[in-house]
Amino acid sequence: MITAGERQSPAPRSSPRRPWSGFVRYAVRRVLILPAQLLFVLLVLYVAIEVPSTFAHNAPESGAGYLLGFAQSVVNDFTGNWGQADILSFHLPWTVVYAYYIPTSVQLALFALPIAAAIAYPVSLLAGWSRRPAYDAPARLLTLLGALLPVFVVGTLVLNAVFFSYLGWFQDLPSQGLIPSSSWFLDRGGYPSWILYDAVTRPTGFPLIDALLHHAWQVAAISLTKTLIQASVVAIAYVAIFFRHARSIVRSESGQGHIVGARSRGVAERTLLWRHAARTAAPSFLLVFALTIPEYLVVQFAVEAAFVDQAGFGYLTFAEVTQGSLAPLEPLVFLLALLVLSWTLVVDLLARAIDPRELNAR
Amino acid sequence: MSREPTPPDQGEPGAPSRPGLRERWGRRPPGVGFWVGSALLAVYLAAALSALFVFRTSPSALPRNLAWVPPYAPLGPSLNHPFGVLPGFGVDLFQALWQATPWDLALVAGILAIDAGMGCLLGAVAGFNEGGLLDGIITFVGDSFAVIPAFLFVVIVFAGLTAVAAGSVGLPLFVVVFGLILWPTTARTVRERARAVAHQPFVEAARASGASPGRILLRHILPNSLGPVLAQLPIDIAPIFFVLAAFPWYYNCQAPGGPPASPLGGGSYLVPSLPPFSPLPSASFPEWGYLLGFGTCEGVSQPGSFDYWWMYVFPLLAIVVFGIAVGLVCDGLERWRVGDR
Repeated sequence: MITAGERQSPAPRSSPRRPWSGFVRYAVRRVLILPAQLLFVLLVLYVAIEVPSTFAHNAPESGAGYLLGFAQSVVNDFTGNWGQADILSFHLPWTVVYAYYIPTSVQLALFALPIAAAIAYPVSLLAGWSRRPAYDAPARLLTLLGALLPVFVVGTLVLNAVFFSYLGWFQDLPSQGLIPSSSWFLDRGGYPSWILYDAVTRPTGFPLIDALLHHAWQVAAISLTKTLIQASVVAIAYVAIFFRHARSIVRSESGQGHIVGARSRGVAERTLLWRHAARTAAPSFLLVFALTIPEYLVVQFAVEAAFVDQAGFGYLTFAEVTQGSLAPLEPLVFLLALLVLSWTLVVDLLARAIDPRELNAR
Repeated sequence: MSREPTPPDQGEPGAPSRPGLRERWGRRPPGVGFWVGSALLAVYLAAALSALFVFRTSPSALPRNLAWVPPYAPLGPSLNHPFGVLPGFGVDLFQALWQATPWDLALVAGILAIDAGMGCLLGAVAGFNEGGLLDGIITFVGDSFAVIPAFLFVVIVFAGLTAVAAGSVGLPLFVVVFGLILWPTTARTVRERARAVAHQPFVEAARASGASPGRILLRHILPNSLGPVLAQLPIDIAPIFFVLAAFPWYYNCQAPGGPPASPLGGGSYLVPSLPPFSPLPSASFPEWGYLLGFGTCEGVSQPGSFDYWWMYVFPLLAIVVFGIAVGLVCDGLERWRVGDR
């Protein structure tokens, strides 16, 4: 309780405490840098795609011409003026095509990322913490193996081994994508009206949700099964990528002063790991999670291509690239860059917000 | 001239003389894994050197034997063909992988050299210059590069260059492009370590004793920031073979508009073809990733069947065993460096 005497002598005002000012300043700087990074990516794309094509047509432009062309491409990218798609069965604007394809990939990611995180978090913590070669060495070897096995090979083998036997229960052969195969539908009188050409579903575009909305329980069960199997393949490969980074983080955490101090006071190893190290390593884990998202996308794209997810973004990407068409790549990479940079920004801020060191400083 | 303090990794501070390489090697042997990895790498190196001699007449083209091409039944592993036959190519798989070894070793060595060289140098400069202009530029460029998935970046750059060169731009450029794509991850990890090292007492002492920034960087920061690179290099092998294998696999097997995919034994077969923007100079080029991509496509052509397992298992083993060998050597070097056994 404050006494009258204390009230008469106010506290010195030399260091006013503004708890969130450092965080806000950091957040503003990060938000401001995002458009600059996006512009840089677009510049790299422009230099790699547009400039060589002018040389190929023997019509190199002046510096001002290139500058104007770059400005126009930036405006086009940001306004969604991405041109007309002429790929697979589509003759539509690219924005519409992408809108068709994104939900299926999001459905897969929503299953794959939690599965990967549920495996990667405890495995990385335990392997990084344990100094016993009996645990650490096999874990390192297995994850290196996981990283070296191309995911499309794993996906193809899983598809061949698991799908063709397991999904036989659903009479769903051959097995493709996140909805039952065309033969499955044809055996039951054809496709329902809510499934469009190239396996795009309506109204949401998420196959599982749309099946549930239309009370197509068997379709939903098959979609869920297929999603889980694909998500597991994605998770296997992604855990290997995540583990290498995360293990070294836990290694360095285990040597921190507060951990060593707690250990010397007799705190149990289990408590040290799950209550102290896990907490302080969480922000770094989140950052690794954000920084490895481009690698995650590659993994998911390859799995989508291996499992022939016809309505998936990865399938579309592989189809575009192998058809040799360059035009769709620029908006595609722009979208990916936007996604990755935004994701990195959110995770970066989240990591900083939950960092115990930052919280203590506030 | 004042004597600079010695960093911890290079001997105890104040010690009369720094232990030599041989002495340190004897004091902290790198472990069994290192020797196993080294032995495996020696086998690969021997295979590469012998391949240069054996296939010297035509090192970059797989010799095709039409007697092994379907409709003849695919030949599995036997005494005559230890790894079996890849029917679409019409080649003995053992011979094809052997012939590919020098190309792949050179490819990986070149890419990792650029990756590690640029990553270490730029990462160390950024970490040492934390908060400065150089740090800002390197971090900004690295972070911006890192958002583009490697396989798309390779395709984009190759597509552009193919348009200018009006033909294949080849493996040397692939090495440079891939090295440039991989450096940001390495630089980021080195930067984090360099930041920590830059605040160590021995660096402060070196600075106080009048050592120039360049000397501090090269003598103290860089050698003590190399740990993360040794962990990163084996992982960086994976995307190289992924890119080399994934596109031939997809193009030959899955792509709408790609070459027709016909099952084996059905009287027709896959003719090896390269996707657009491929770094390989020809469709008969010996390369592990290409053989893996094509073998996966051809070997898993029968639903639910693993009858043609050798077509993808042996190329896969060539890549995985090589990656594990590099991983074991790097882990051993890291343990030896920090004395953590």
